[in-house]
Amino acid sequence: MTPRPWLHGFLDLCLLAMLRERPDYGYGLAQRLAAAGVADIPGGTLYPALLRLEQQGLASPSWAPSENGPRRKYYEITPAGLGALRAQADEWRVFRDGVDALIGNEMAGEHTP
Amino acid sequence: MNDWPRRFEAELVRLGLQPERAHRLTAETAAQAGEHAADPDHFFGPAHLYARHLVAELQVSTLEEKRAAAGKVMLRLAGVTKRYGRRTVLTGVDLTVRGGEVAAIVGANGCGKSTLLRICAGLTAPTSGTVQRTRRVGFVPQDGGTAGWLTADEHFTLFGAAAGIAPRKARSTGAHLASLLAWRPTGSQPVQELSGGTRQKLNLVLGELHGPDLLLLDEPYQGFDQGSYLDFWRQVRAWRDAGRAVVVVTHLLHELQHVDHVLDLGGAS
Repeated sequence: MTPRPWLHGFLDLCLLAMLRERPDYGYGLAQRLAAAGVADIPGGTLYPALLRLEQQGLASPSWAPSENGPRRKYYEITPAGLGALRAQADEWRVFRDGVDALIGNEMAGEHTP
Repeated sequence: MNDWPRRFEAELVRLGLQPERAHRLTAETAAQAGEHAADPDHFFGPAHLYARHLVAELQVSTLEEKRAAAGKVMLRLAGVTKRYGRRTVLTGVDLTVRGGEVAAIVGANGCGKSTLLRICAGLTAPTSGTVQRTRRVGFVPQDGGTAGWLTADEHFTLFGAAAGIAPRKARSTGAHLASLLAWRPTGSQPVQELSGGTRQKLNLVLGELHGPDLLLLDEPYQGFDQGSYLDFWRQVRAWRDAGRAVVVVTHLLHELQHVDHVLDLGGAS
């Protein structure tokens, strides 16, 4: 699982990517992040992030009843959210490739006699 | 049922949220803990701390949208070098800070951060290099220039007088600025009886009393509790969004996501 300081920079990206697939509510998103092996995200990190997305107009909320228990706040990605997702995904790829290149070199170095 | 939601809502209101919005957020937050079948105290931590965290997050997102473009240059250092005898403290430092920008000076203890800030303020002369700064500068040193036997109000009056502000206006401005840091000065208490954190708040207020265009702050949150610390960074963002330039000496690297320039002075010289 990714340590939290790293996740902080990529959480919005992960949330937007999941919302592009389908609208979801907080608990569902937490489960999907954990299932993807990305993070076991604390509620105190997840819910403020969702509120931020809502406030920035990147995701729009709607309430829906649940089979058991109180109604849920579902988030749906907006056109602005899709734009932000594309931009952040590009940044992520550049970052990932850069780190991969560095790690690759180090690993190769270790195997050199 | 514990009173976590009530305390959470009260803190949201105290931090300036509209009561209606605070009420809605409290209901949502309780429901979120419910989704996870968790107790909010266990899930989110202490009510007042989570309230501050949430408000800080919300403010960051709105401030980023509202931010104006960088304004005119308030501070420009070019090739600043400082030597004391044979010891070189600073070498070839360049830094430009415009209105609406925050710069952080970071580095190990003893690398010359405070010296550089004094050079920015014009209190120490560089050995070589040039310093240009705007006329109205507020300087908040680490160990403030306060007088222990005077009250906070007397400091407001005194520092106000030095900046040509009438006593009553200086006192009301001081009280207002203090309230932004969640501090209400009490009338007759001499400054030496205040806690270290509260004395730092006084320093901050004094540095800001005359509405400077450039604020120079030397780790001004020493002794602050968590809430005051968040109030401080919120205040930094408010200054920035008001078009002022802010330079902060800091060793807290996790705050650097909020700043526009990072000047790393590296290890101790």
